Amino acid sequence: MSMLRSYRLLVGWQARRLKGVLPLAIVVQTLLALGIVIGYPLLFPGLDRSTTLFLATGAPAITLISMGLVLVPQMVAQSRTEGTLDYMRSLPVPRLVYLLADLSVWLAVVLPGVIFAVAVGDVRFGLELQVSPLVVPAMLLVALTATAIGYAIASLLPAMLANLLTQVLVVFVLMFSPLNFPPDRLPSWLAAIHRVLPIQAMGEVIRGTLAGGTFPLTTGPFLLLAAWCVASFVVTHRVMNRRA
Amino acid sequence: MLLEIVDVTKTYRGGVRANDGVTLEVGAGEVYGLLGHNGAGKTTLANQVVGLLRPDTGSIHIDGVDAVARPDEARRRCSIQPQAQVPIAGLTPRQAIGLVGRLRGATAPDVHRRSRALSAALELDEWLDVDGVRLSGGVKRLVSFCMAAVAPGRVVILDEPTNDVDPVRRRLLWAQVRRLADDGAAVLLVTHNVIEAERAVDRLAILDHGRVVVEGTPSSLKAGLAEDLRLELVLEPGADAPAMAPFVRRVTRNGHRVLATVPAGEASDAAAWAQQLRRAGTVEEFSLAPATLEDVYIGAVGRADALQPESRTIAREELAGVHAA
Repeated sequence: MSMLRSYRLLVGWQARRLKGVLPLAIVVQTLLALGIVIGYPLLFPGLDRSTTLFLATGAPAITLISMGLVLVPQMVAQSRTEGTLDYMRSLPVPRLVYLLADLSVWLAVVLPGVIFAVAVGDVRFGLELQVSPLVVPAMLLVALTATAIGYAIASLLPAMLANLLTQVLVVFVLMFSPLNFPPDRLPSWLAAIHRVLPIQAMGEVIRGTLAGGTFPLTTGPFLLLAAWCVASFVVTHRVMNRRA
Repeated sequence: MLLEIVDVTKTYRGGVRANDGVTLEVGAGEVYGLLGHNGAGKTTLANQVVGLLRPDTGSIHIDGVDAVARPDEARRRCSIQPQAQVPIAGLTPRQAIGLVGRLRGATAPDVHRRSRALSAALELDEWLDVDGVRLSGGVKRLVSFCMAAVAPGRVVILDEPTNDVDPVRRRLLWAQVRRLADDGAAVLLVTHNVIEAERAVDRLAILDHGRVVVEGTPSSLKAGLAEDLRLELVLEPGADAPAMAPFVRRVTRNGHRVLATVPAGEASDAAAWAQQLRRAGTVEEFSLAPATLEDVYIGAVGRADALQPESRTIAREELAGVHAA
């Protein structure tokens, strides 16, 4: 039984299971992404180009991170509560294939919004983005890492706690992480923390691949993110294979 | 033997010993019943076989593969119908059965052929394309049986497969369970429905507080009670239990139902005594019949409280023919 075949079947399973909520989820995710790009400038009129550029390039990162850290763990927690997860765990499918199948379904939900929001921001504010082909691996890396962390949270904590933690994470990512603003606005201790956490790096790789002229792309954030990606996959793999 | 469980002990955090030195073997073509009351450790044992739980000590082999060291291989060789309902909301039974069959490695045509056969045998055709959220509990239960049977492992574990299923389809289901064994699988049937198990299993073990207290074929287990008859009294609602006649032994009570054994030699006295109780209005109905597996169960576990209400109904229907009135 090839992994690829299991993957395809599980994507089909998850997509059918969620078919009732998927269209709405796509709309909500698009509105969220648009809200960051269009909504902030409404709140604070007269923003300069560099600020709007920050917002337009921060929105994709925020959307992808909240998919991995909020949507995915909430869905995993729900599957755990209703028993789907245990049933799926009794099938002869490698554990990480579940993660990849979930990730694919949710990427399909958030990507239209991400692309739409960036395009609208570009046109509305005349940002003249310079999109590099590296944006594809950058976004995948961000989504993979965030999802692996989200899976670990949902597998380690009881459902209620996992849901609570994801709410806290939303606020932290949206308000206290240098995604919509440069890191020098943070207090130095929080800036120091963000140099180690993956969130800032997630923002930088996407920003650098969308607007390379203004935000030069360096290997540093890619390497940090890759390390987080590998580490979170190792942890998630162990957690998912754990037997009580 | 396809399934070999040797000296398995499992203690949960908090100190509950769910399995205590459990040893049993199930061969190809055999339906093996694992009986016991709620919390006896039946599902814990099943979950260790499929690698969802890890035993503290002991070994589990499926078709020669060490299931404790290689849970992934165990899952390939073993399919399970879990005790909990499998949530298939958003999927139709056809889709759910098909997906599991394909995930278990069967080809699309095989899955198609097998699910049609199962659906026809269990009279599920009218539900095949209905969304899972709209299915009744019994139909969902049958669908989850089909999910375990569509591409069965060498070992098939069925955890309370007949819960919520109507009496007609129960019979159809038992026929399919037998069919799985006839096709070469080792079937481990977890149930607390003793009366149904008596007809469905080749051998069985009774689990009590995590230990195997009795093991054997239904007839060998009943042989010890060959000189006994079972006396069942159904009390009038509100009536107190009558004083027992001296020849009535091993009395257990479950609600309105009183079960006891009577030496075969005292049969006519017992019938006369029970008839008298009926005339006096203490007893609604009674029956006197050869001992069943249920009596073995009560003898082994020492109480009737684990028996399900539905088993009582079936017992009454079944025994209607031997009414001594």
